[in-house]
Amino acid sequence: MPHLPSSSSPLVTIKVDGKDVQVPGDTNLLEALQAVGIETPHICYHPYLPVSGNCRQCLVEVEGPRGMGLVISCYTPVKAGMVVATPASSQRVKSTRKAVSEFMLVNHPLDCPICDKAGECTLQKNYMEAGQNESRLRGEVGKHYHGNPDNEFVDSKGQTRGGKRVDLGPRVLLDEERCVQCDRCVRFMRHVAGDEQLQLAARSDHTYITTFPGEKLDHEYDLCVTDICPTGALTGKYFRFQQRVWMLSRTPSVSMDDSLGANIWIDHNEGHVWRLMPRCNPEVNRSWLSNTSRLAFEKFAENRLPASDIESVKLALQTQGKVALVAGGECTLEDIVALKMLKASLGDRAEIFVGSFRPVVAADGIAKSGDPVANRAGFKLLGLAADNLADLVKRASEFNTLMTINNDLWGDDANQAKALEGIENRITLAAFNTETAHKANVVFGVNHWSEVTGTMVNCNGILQKLSAAPTAPDAELIPTFQALSIFAGTPITEALEAFKVASKEVPVLLGLSYETIRSTGAKLDGVQA
Amino acid sequence: MVRQIKQTPMNWVERLYIFEAFRGLFTTLKHFLRGLFRYETLPTVPYPEIKPEIPRDYRAKHRLMLRPDGTPRCVACFMCATACPAHCIYIEAAPSVDGRIEKRAVRFDIDHLVCVFCGLCVEACPVDAIRMDTQDTSYVHRNREDFITPMYDLTAWDPKQYPQNDTQSQVAPGGSKNQQALEAWGLKVH
Repeated sequence: MPHLPSSSSPLVTIKVDGKDVQVPGDTNLLEALQAVGIETPHICYHPYLPVSGNCRQCLVEVEGPRGMGLVISCYTPVKAGMVVATPASSQRVKSTRKAVSEFMLVNHPLDCPICDKAGECTLQKNYMEAGQNESRLRGEVGKHYHGNPDNEFVDSKGQTRGGKRVDLGPRVLLDEERCVQCDRCVRFMRHVAGDEQLQLAARSDHTYITTFPGEKLDHEYDLCVTDICPTGALTGKYFRFQQRVWMLSRTPSVSMDDSLGANIWIDHNEGHVWRLMPRCNPEVNRSWLSNTSRLAFEKFAENRLPASDIESVKLALQTQGKVALVAGGECTLEDIVALKMLKASLGDRAEIFVGSFRPVVAADGIAKSGDPVANRAGFKLLGLAADNLADLVKRASEFNTLMTINNDLWGDDANQAKALEGIENRITLAAFNTETAHKANVVFGVNHWSEVTGTMVNCNGILQKLSAAPTAPDAELIPTFQALSIFAGTPITEALEAFKVASKEVPVLLGLSYETIRSTGAKLDGVQA
Repeated sequence: MVRQIKQTPMNWVERLYIFEAFRGLFTTLKHFLRGLFRYETLPTVPYPEIKPEIPRDYRAKHRLMLRPDGTPRCVACFMCATACPAHCIYIEAAPSVDGRIEKRAVRFDIDHLVCVFCGLCVEACPVDAIRMDTQDTSYVHRNREDFITPMYDLTAWDPKQYPQNDTQSQVAPGGSKNQQALEAWGLKVH
């Protein structure tokens, strides 16, 4: 993996285009130039993959013993006193990059109008930055397909085409014509996923991406190859032909199905979520997102609970006897604040339980910590025991009322939840019409985590912000913290109000507001899950 | 260029208005009599009995061009919908059933009440699938929903109504060049 610059990188002085600039000294030239605002077009280079250096798009001139020479900036370490020339000063770099771009596009099909990558395609971007060349191909000859001979066909114009929809696995389709053989996907599967399922076959311009004979691309992280693919060669079947990318609006959020809290973009259009994309956070999930988190959006609008009567929940909470408030991991810090307010209003007869019947599994080291209670550290931060569900199971007979908050006890493990069936009065506060909601006698529909503003603390003690995507199926729905605070009798309508209450309680949150939490989150000192 | 029109002041006969009023009535009478006895010399068109001549490049109702085999040429690239300033084009895309073609539109609706007939969709189309040369400028429906023109309506046009030198129209089914085009596609029907 390339060494990326950080805040602790030593600064060295290099000469770029005749000017002395201070750049991080422990990284490669591409990252160093980026640190001072000089973008270098690149295709095969990815900050979280080993450097391969096969695309030759990132060429710069560096002074060597034989004068200025062209080198690839992604594989050249920064050295103090280096003399570098970028296209801003060197015509040679400019024309070489243009030539590389032209070569790259020689047999690349003009699929942009029907390509799902169009709009976020590296080739398009590089063409606008470095290429802009006229096609020198004769129209009657056209593009030519060299890849896997098994997938060749002659199209309606008489051209040799091929490999337009090669089925790589259950989730990913390959278009061999669009592939530029950057081998990012191969490196991803080999070095990040740790399961080498993709390979480059054949040589030179006959190279094509393929799986091993009889094997399929099937891995928990296989959809990441569609993100890192710089062209539209690898596309996810779930998003194929669904939307053009420029029609989508992006909302930055955090995936609340795992305590690592993978950073995501919620891509939505006309109130509908079309895809979740990983949002780069070097400290959390880098550029990766698991298939489970990524494909979860397909269920976001399905099987939802409608907004229902507040009074009926209030009435159910008035029932005599002890109340167990069982919160799930999807609760944001704001929800926990409101939950504590509800407990305070109910007095001694209420008790808060946190946890999930889903087992904690081992971290996969990529973008999942394995803990299904996403905000476990947040519960601890606000002074709640973060894993006392077993306690509730033992003492179930003490309680007369069970209120679940974003916690699908019966759906997660019906056997363990059976012990709770003795509690007669069951209230469910959830986004979905889950098994637990079927068991409840009062249900109350709230916003899903993709539709709320809030904060969560991940397992590494990083405070991360969720933003509300305007995708709620019903405008009547309210966020969990608002519902809980209404039941408590002190309504909070803004998430920021609840966050301010939390920051009064917890000193590490002091001085933080939604504006000061950066997109990569804020590291809270001394907070651990 | 500025054209200056000099107005001569009215003389006193004109300023009486009484003779001028009769002169105006005489013009009306003249046109009335011309309409009665020499109708064909009138400069106006007796719409709707006779439709006005509309040039081919007039931006009229849209049509979707067809491939020789009868499928719409549209590849559902959304360029027209993106270019449309009125957001009146609604497209749904799907994989094509023909292995040589990747993408097709399963739904292509144009709301002609919202459409501003700017022609940007025609300019944007990369495959010459949408044209506005139908010369159809007035269409009447009983309710608003009927103005949303679906794909089967946009593709229901007759190649015989388009000139012989309009190659793309003529290769469509029923066109004079359809047989040749089908042969080139390897779809000759015996």
